[in-house]
Amino acid sequence: MAPAEVVGISGEPGNFSVKVRQKARYIDMAKCISCGLCAEKCPKKVPDEYNMGLAKRKSAYLSYAQAVPPKYAIDKDTCIYFKKGGKCKACEKFCPTGAVDFDQQDVDRDINVGAVILAAGFQPYDPSRYSAYNYTKLPNVITGMEFERILAAAGPFSGHMVRPSDHKEPTKIAWLQCVGSRDVNHCDHSYCSAVCCMYAIKEAIIAKEHSKVPLDAAIFFMDMRTHGKEFEKYYWRARDEQGVRFIRSRVHTIDPVPGSDDVNIRYLDEHGNLKDEIFELVILSVGMEVAPEVMALGKTLGVGLNSDQFADTSSFTPVSTSRPGVFVCGAFQGPKDIPQSVMEASAAASAASEMLSAARYSLAKKKPVFAERDVAAEEPRIGVFVCHCGVNIASVVDVEAVRDYAQTLPHVAFVENSLFACSQDTQGLIKERIKEHNLNRVVVASCTPRTHEPTFQETITEAGLNKYLFQMANIRDQGSWVHQNEPAAATHRAKDQVRMAVAAVGLQPPLQEFDLPVTKAGLVIGGGVAGMEAALGLANQGYDVALVEKKDFLGGHARKLNHTWNGEAVQPYVDDLVQRVTAHPKVQVHLNAAITGVTGFVGNFVSTIASEGRETEVPHGAAIIAIGGHSFKPTEYLYKENPRVLLSLEMDQALREKNPLVTGANSAVFIQCVGSREPERPYCSRVCCTHSVENALRLKEINPDMDVYVLYRDLRTYGLRENIYKEAREKGVIFIRYDLENKPKVKQAADGSLTVTVIDHILGIPVHLNPDVLTLASAIIVKEQEKLAQLFKVPLNNDGFFLEAHMKLRPVDFATDGVFVAGLAHYPKPMDEAIAQAKAAAARAALILALDVIRAGGVVAQVDPAACSGCQACVGVCPFGAIGFKEDEKLAEVNQALCKGCGTCAANCPSECITLFGFSHKQLYTQVDEALAELEAEMEEAAG
Amino acid sequence: MAEKEYEPKIIGFFCNWCTYAGADLAGVSRLQYPPNIRVIRVMCSGTVSPHHVLRAFQKGADGVLIGGCHIGDCHYLKGNYMTIKRMTFLQDLLKFTGFEDGRLHLEWISAAEGPKFAQVVREFTEKIKKLGPSRLKLAPKAA
Amino acid sequence: MDRLREKVRNLLKDGKVAGYLGYIMKDGHPLPHLFTPARPEEVGQAIVAPGDARYPLDKLLQQLAKGYPDATFAVQVRGCDERGLNELYKWGQLDPEKVVLVGVACPQDQADYCECPGPWPSVIDSGNKCKPVLRSQRVDRIDALAGEAAFQEWMSAFNKCVKCYGCRDICPMCFCKECALEHPDLMSTGKVPPDSIFQLVRALHMAGRCIDCGLCEENCPADIPLRVLYKKGNALVKEMFDYDTGSLTTGLSPWKFLGDESTMETKPM
Repeated sequence: MAPAEVVGISGEPGNFSVKVRQKARYIDMAKCISCGLCAEKCPKKVPDEYNMGLAKRKSAYLSYAQAVPPKYAIDKDTCIYFKKGGKCKACEKFCPTGAVDFDQQDVDRDINVGAVILAAGFQPYDPSRYSAYNYTKLPNVITGMEFERILAAAGPFSGHMVRPSDHKEPTKIAWLQCVGSRDVNHCDHSYCSAVCCMYAIKEAIIAKEHSKVPLDAAIFFMDMRTHGKEFEKYYWRARDEQGVRFIRSRVHTIDPVPGSDDVNIRYLDEHGNLKDEIFELVILSVGMEVAPEVMALGKTLGVGLNSDQFADTSSFTPVSTSRPGVFVCGAFQGPKDIPQSVMEASAAASAASEMLSAARYSLAKKKPVFAERDVAAEEPRIGVFVCHCGVNIASVVDVEAVRDYAQTLPHVAFVENSLFACSQDTQGLIKERIKEHNLNRVVVASCTPRTHEPTFQETITEAGLNKYLFQMANIRDQGSWVHQNEPAAATHRAKDQVRMAVAAVGLQPPLQEFDLPVTKAGLVIGGGVAGMEAALGLANQGYDVALVEKKDFLGGHARKLNHTWNGEAVQPYVDDLVQRVTAHPKVQVHLNAAITGVTGFVGNFVSTIASEGRETEVPHGAAIIAIGGHSFKPTEYLYKENPRVLLSLEMDQALREKNPLVTGANSAVFIQCVGSREPERPYCSRVCCTHSVENALRLKEINPDMDVYVLYRDLRTYGLRENIYKEAREKGVIFIRYDLENKPKVKQAADGSLTVTVIDHILGIPVHLNPDVLTLASAIIVKEQEKLAQLFKVPLNNDGFFLEAHMKLRPVDFATDGVFVAGLAHYPKPMDEAIAQAKAAAARAALILALDVIRAGGVVAQVDPAACSGCQACVGVCPFGAIGFKEDEKLAEVNQALCKGCGTCAANCPSECITLFGFSHKQLYTQVDEALAELEAEMEEAAG
Repeated sequence: MAEKEYEPKIIGFFCNWCTYAGADLAGVSRLQYPPNIRVIRVMCSGTVSPHHVLRAFQKGADGVLIGGCHIGDCHYLKGNYMTIKRMTFLQDLLKFTGFEDGRLHLEWISAAEGPKFAQVVREFTEKIKKLGPSRLKLAPKAA
Repeated sequence: MDRLREKVRNLLKDGKVAGYLGYIMKDGHPLPHLFTPARPEEVGQAIVAPGDARYPLDKLLQQLAKGYPDATFAVQVRGCDERGLNELYKWGQLDPEKVVLVGVACPQDQADYCECPGPWPSVIDSGNKCKPVLRSQRVDRIDALAGEAAFQEWMSAFNKCVKCYGCRDICPMCFCKECALEHPDLMSTGKVPPDSIFQLVRALHMAGRCIDCGLCEENCPADIPLRVLYKKGNALVKEMFDYDTGSLTTGLSPWKFLGDESTMETKPM
């Protein structure tokens, strides 16, 4: 339903009535075939919002190439028909299916749902208000989003990196960070947008890659916030290997350079020297803000917003809004990057599922099962349907000639043209023809299989044919559309592609998909917050869960924490969580336990839990790894040598116990990045800056006159956490910056008193501090993870954290199906993020457990055991570890439940004894032969 | 007797998720390229074995173009790691046997790179046209 | 020779091995022979096969191992044979725990003929180390030829092929139950000489596997310079993947694993 907006809601969790206004797009989606003629013929050009106004689109348009649904729309606000009383109508005239409907109206609909999830996103900050940056006046001052479009291959300049004013390729580019973030002057956004440091570095690196000459990239920043997984190394590479300049300075003004399109930046460097630099392009790294429409949506839905206008959530229920039954995820919850957004999305789904689990499948329609005709004994009888696609194919390719040609091919029993092969009536016709002519295979020559293959496969299934007995010849997207000026050659190509498809489908056997049972139970390893939330997430959705904890208590490291960053008390939450877990009838807690063995695969695992001398075998369909992290114990800064030196968690303990060491202190120092962001541990531990600032505020509460110092390298209070950094400064906490080459030095006197010496970044001279208590914000590390990683066959990254399947898009999955990860074992993170990730892991695991069977097979690989010589060339090249080796028989075997059908193994076997069904060696050779069939005669001649 | 102008025959093996999709995008964008290419869709560029490539050349292909996802973006995670190992090796082996360099080409083209797809096909077709018919096709049996 | 025979005698006597696969002179021909503890007197006739009468003992050993999977065998190895064994271990065809080496170092003229960079095994029971040949001049000569000239040479060579499969049959590294060279879908049948794809597929499979024993070339009735092609394949594998075919320390063949990352660049058009 797009474009649409929510205009009202009533009811309660489990039973909402939501009023949705479906806005008119003036194009009938059922008729639109996305041919693009309306846009081609439309005379009205307007700025293209998708390309940030850098390019033009028409009033009749497709938002962007990958839009879903891929249907065109007419922009009422600019369309000539609407603005000039009924004139033009070019689109209507040319649309081949009559899809244009100027009389379409907005339609309000009431839909009945059990839960609502808000994923309303953000809008980029508009820097027009930063008058000193001259964004509106200077064409070569652009936003980060505009630069993204400039770099994009499908963008306004086809990926050529040029600047707006004269389309020259810039060789000197500056990025200004924190535009629209960490600023209460030009905008009301005191928060940090969390993503801009990384995207600026990325843009700088890509700009350098694009440039044919060495490019000078300079990033002007306050704190470099690369606190995500692998991000710190990315920052170092940009700085040390790629030569990106990082200049710690907040730029006030961008001035034009008279007589040129360049701009001048004047700034103070860290030593207080005033500098001028001319750049050819300046990019403002704009932050995220909540769009006014979204604020209005929040109001309509009765969802509370916090002071920064993001949806108000608690750290302990990060995806729940103030209105029960309405959940939130992504940038509307708070500024965040892609991995975080993806995790929250799954977490919101999990939260909604927990609420609605009783109604699972109640509205689902069962797909009818069609009897499949056994064609194994039959000779191929192929039906070929050649599509006109209106004029899209027929105007270039002689579709009748292709049809006639297809008739001459071996095993072709029937041929026919259709106007639109994908239309409903043609589907019916195809089914009829299959029956009439006893066809057992079908070829459709039309558009790309990527659009309609599933449609046709469903059609032939309904006619009783195995869905794999089908091929498409792409004679439109890779035919008529790209060879418009060579109709004869395009027709020739179409015939060849049809011949190839016919030959391939003739060799195609029916492929069986088979059902594997699913053990509807989960296994969670780790009884900390993440583990418990994951276990509850699954249990509340109705699944049995075994929760395995190494120690003799639940709660993990959360037991050592006092408050979240915005002051919520942790212990009451943990107590309540433990209580809910132990009381839950579906959760079986195993304390003092460890996993000693794992067999099986997704849906069918059996793991061995060893506890107090006994071993239990537990069958489960999915597993979640949440073994948590630990404080790194430093060997520097006198830790363990002086009782005044504490780690962050020990400071929490001291505060909790009201230890006089802390309550009676006159001076306290925090040292950040102890053990993190160093060569042995080249990552940021993400939570420590916030934790120290939060504890600094606690100390100031205890004694407002206490001297509190935070010694840091980059202060990484990202997102809305920036607000407590501001508060700390206002309350007099002093922040002193140091760098890796000049770490603070800590000495103790005979009486045990401490002296901390650090070079002050403003004064440039050493400053001696005498804290009564010194807190070291030490790194978070993972321990004892190798054995578990081996048992479940999942990888670890270089820093020892579990390595997910895809850093951005699959942040809780592993390449191995059925195993998931959450919490510190994945990467250091604060409690709200750990809870979100745990819920996300539960959602992903539940996807498997909700199935009665796992469908496997179809396009998968199979080893011919008679031909396999046990060389294992296949085993090592399966990206999913789906090939096992049977030691006793010395044979490789593909686990078809895990096989994803990539065929890398099949191409690797020197004997070709592995077949990838649907893409067998014979089928590929046959397609090659058929593609080159005309040359055979020529070559025979040449051979003489 | 007029000689038919030489039109190279090019075989393209394109992975379903990236290059084939990029080719479709080129189509949607109506970018034009020469019609000498015949496309074989595979699930992953890793599905393509050097056997398939050699067969194509043996049967008279003047050029073979393999298209896959960029490293790190493979739909099957790392299938393309094998592709580049195999094809780079094959390119050098063929060169040693006197095969004209450049007839086998590997290019990473993503689903979003419609213009790049069209450009690569244009440039490759042009290059093969200049190289002329493949030595193997013309004189499979040298004296 | 005496040192070798003494070692064999001891191996058989100690019962450490079920047999020793070496050579014996039979009617004036050096032939492979399995010396067993049951007939210790034969050891006196055990010889080192001269360079021009070598057999693929690795291949025979594989057959022995299949027939007697629990037995340990000693085998006569030159540098190349040992490279073969190392690769066969990695390809799962032989068990290193069940092989004992009886090593023979090749004489200089053999090493020069083979252009061998490693003409001695890790264990030497006969012969002395000679000077290895680090660069193959036969390969370098072809590398230096212009494309057209190289093509002519190779096509002339390939056109002499009678598809006897001698190269494959004698190769100790060819262990596939079903050989790609016999697949009718890949190789057009009924043609002699076969399409050059026959030679190219073999060369492909030999890359990273060929141990440069030279038996294929010696066996070829048409004198096709197979060794040159396979040497080049190995050189490419070394260059691209830093893989030393036949070495135990070089890890797994690049064709058998994906790797943690891929740093190769596609070649420009």
